[in-house]
Amino acid sequence: MTALVDTLTVVIQIAFRNLFANRWKTLIVGGIIGFGAFLVVIGTSLLDSVDHAMSRSIIGSIAGNIQVYSSESKDDLDVMGGFSFDANAIEPLSDFARVKSVLMSVPNVAQVVPMGLNGSLTLSGNTVDQALAKLRTSVTAKTQGDSSAVLAQTYADQKDHVRQIISVLQGDTENVKKLHDEKALANDDLASVTRAASAEFWATFDQDPLDHLEFLENRIAPLATDADMLFLRYVGTDPSVFAKSFDRMTIVEGQAIPEGKRGFLFSKYVYEEQVKLKTARNLDKVHEAITIRGKKIAKDEELTRLVREASTQVKELLLELDAPKTKLFRSKLQGVLHSSESDVGKLLGQFLSTNDENFESRYAFFYKELAPSLELYRVRIGDTLTIKAFTRSGYVQSANLKVYGTFAFKGLEKSPQAGTMNMMDLVSFRELYGFMTDDRAKEIAAIRATSGAKEVSRENAESELFGAAEGAPSAAPGAAPSADLGTELSGLAGTHRRDGEQPYDPMQLEQGVILNAAVLVKDERKTEETIASIEAAGKKAGLPLKAVSWQKAAGLIGQFTTLMRVVLYTAVLIIFVVALVIINNALVMATLQRVREIGTLRAVGAQRRFILAMLVLESVAVGLVFGAIGTVLGAGLIALLGRVGIAAGNDVLMFFFSGPRLYPALASYNLLLALFIVLFVSVISSVYPAWIAMRISPREAMQSED
Amino acid sequence: MTAIVSIKNATKDYRLGKVVVPALRGVTLEVSQGEFLSIAGPSGSGKTTLLNLIGCVDTPTTGTVEVAGRSTAKLSERELTRLRLDTIGFIFQSFNLVGVLDVYRNVELPLLLQHTLSAAERSKRVLALLERVGLGDHARHRPNELSGGQRQRVAIARALVTRPVLVLADEPTANLDSVTGQNILDLMKELNRTEKTTFIFSTHDARVMAHASSLIRLADGKLAESGTSGPSSHEAAESGLGAMP
Repeated sequence: MTALVDTLTVVIQIAFRNLFANRWKTLIVGGIIGFGAFLVVIGTSLLDSVDHAMSRSIIGSIAGNIQVYSSESKDDLDVMGGFSFDANAIEPLSDFARVKSVLMSVPNVAQVVPMGLNGSLTLSGNTVDQALAKLRTSVTAKTQGDSSAVLAQTYADQKDHVRQIISVLQGDTENVKKLHDEKALANDDLASVTRAASAEFWATFDQDPLDHLEFLENRIAPLATDADMLFLRYVGTDPSVFAKSFDRMTIVEGQAIPEGKRGFLFSKYVYEEQVKLKTARNLDKVHEAITIRGKKIAKDEELTRLVREASTQVKELLLELDAPKTKLFRSKLQGVLHSSESDVGKLLGQFLSTNDENFESRYAFFYKELAPSLELYRVRIGDTLTIKAFTRSGYVQSANLKVYGTFAFKGLEKSPQAGTMNMMDLVSFRELYGFMTDDRAKEIAAIRATSGAKEVSRENAESELFGAAEGAPSAAPGAAPSADLGTELSGLAGTHRRDGEQPYDPMQLEQGVILNAAVLVKDERKTEETIASIEAAGKKAGLPLKAVSWQKAAGLIGQFTTLMRVVLYTAVLIIFVVALVIINNALVMATLQRVREIGTLRAVGAQRRFILAMLVLESVAVGLVFGAIGTVLGAGLIALLGRVGIAAGNDVLMFFFSGPRLYPALASYNLLLALFIVLFVSVISSVYPAWIAMRISPREAMQSED
Repeated sequence: MTAIVSIKNATKDYRLGKVVVPALRGVTLEVSQGEFLSIAGPSGSGKTTLLNLIGCVDTPTTGTVEVAGRSTAKLSERELTRLRLDTIGFIFQSFNLVGVLDVYRNVELPLLLQHTLSAAERSKRVLALLERVGLGDHARHRPNELSGGQRQRVAIARALVTRPVLVLADEPTANLDSVTGQNILDLMKELNRTEKTTFIFSTHDARVMAHASSLIRLADGKLAESGTSGPSSHEAAESGLGAMP
């Protein structure tokens, strides 16, 4: 035994001394191995941290640990909404109460949140519409006999504002005509604008205000291009259960949707991106880039573009200015710019063409002095928003919902994917989606009674309508009522306006249709088993339940870290294959230089395995020593980063980091993995050289003569 | 006298691409214990090939080679290695010390490979041998700190440390100046006398041949001459070949 130890000692001695004797080879090979180990530690640690951060924010936002939906659905569920507007391929689950009781019977399930996902295109009113609407209110009040001085003043101011808008539009339309020379179309528009801007038009306005208003509403309002389609994706849910279950959800402005009330919450991201005045939004972006990320306008293309956009697109602001505001803006801007220019448009353009020196002061000035006179958001908190959506049978359905506030998911605030989910109560969602609710059913019954409509089954609808032409027998009036048709009728009834704050019976939330449900578990490590249990429980209860992990339910986002991991491991693999080839070559060269020495050892009586052990030992020693150095350096860097954090340079990184800074943590498995890979590569790369060395004949020790 | 080495009609062919080069064309030879045998011959005559066969680093194409009573053709690679370790000591023209090990470790190496002696026994034997070859003070030196002659003494110590019955020396003095070569040869001769170790060495140096108790000459892979030369009066090798005129 001691002899074996002694032999090992001599093997180790030879091996180590050889490493020192060939310092450069050792350093090169070791350097590669050390770098590889460093990379593995850094890469896997960062990825784990990103994975952890993302999973926390996705699970804690909307996905939950598990998503449950109907197994009869044609498509896979994507709670982050994917890229598609269409969420219809998820089959509804008709009774949430039953689904919930089945889910809650699974031991690991802690909470179930009902959901439905859909999207709508909503036209937000433009400034012209808003100004005209206000004017119409005053006109109505006047015709109803209100002759107060206050109303007279308001009425005059409102007329002024509309005139101001028209003069802005007039300049605009002429410019467009000059640019495009689209005679037919532009001439028509130009004529309308010219008429609306004429003194004569306004002189006769008071004689027939309604007629004039109608002209403005029909011919002028469409010319104002600041009306935007709001594409709103929303989740219909039980707002209070949602807020309780998802710890990442925070109310940013306003309040949560009160229990039992219909309502809408904007995602803060959508509210800022789509609803806010573009100029203000641009200024915000520049401000954020400068203060948080230390960017410079002059050095950053994106910021340069934003500033240019803000300074050239002042029309949106001008449209909001009536006569008194125009005057106010003129004096304020002249003051701050030390200018005698009287055109507010030019003043604004000059004010907004900022640079790195004056940006912060102008930004502050904008919010302090100008913003109070502007409508910063096209939809204000407390307004009622008309959401129009397609029901699953294709009809347009609408609901008026009060906007209670805005909310954000912590960590996902900046994500164009996850941050765009708005929220409404589940009852309104069901209506918009075309499901029968109690209120609706009653309403339809009332409409039917008054209009004398008879029920027609879908199969017979055509013959009912065109029966005579077809010559087919008319359908029996007493045909069984079809649930589908009821749904469609409810869609037709959508023109009926309802109060945005209309309450509903909280029981309705529990008992109706849902599209999917988020499940939060007690023990995350058992998520896989719980998924299986849920599907089994569904089968037993006769419910077509399909359960998927949050990674699957979050679509692309959920798969992202897996994708990154594949990329990382591929990179690591490539690095180590290259390392393997280099190390292998270096060792083969080294072996060939040692033919005489190895031959001598063999001649003197060393067995082949002695040679093998010697070479493998050399490789492993280099691998372990340099691998350990790389691992320690990597671990040190991660520890350092874990303390100071890595700043997210842009919105994309903000999303992956789930916040402004990522604090990576080191897991022992990262270190073990690095060392294991390093050892593996060391051993594998020494196999071929060792094989060559083993083949070296003891004859090599002798003088070659023959 | 017992025959340490017994070679019968040994031939050895080497392949050089498609050409078969015969290096030995049938050699029969017996070496008895205690001999100090010189194998002489010009380059290409087959000296090294013959030494390789005797040293068990190669096996004959036809014929038999018996070393210490064992026929090498029947032995596996491992057994041949073990046979070399236990019964043969090697001295090379270029000394072939392990450069990264000190003198002591170089000499100890075969003992470590043998796994038979304790550390104390090894130390005693190594130090005694180093004393014997006149390098008692150089145990901790590295080979590159030694002169050529000193290195060859280390190599001799290494060859003798396992107390082999046979020491093979391949042109042991070729890389040394004549005085140093003479000293080395004297040392080998003395060890041959006192330890009764059989020495077989190849050389083409006439002065070296003069020391041999027996001499065989090789030419074109065949024995050209064998006989007794020099002052020692050993018997001539019992070869079946005719003596020189």
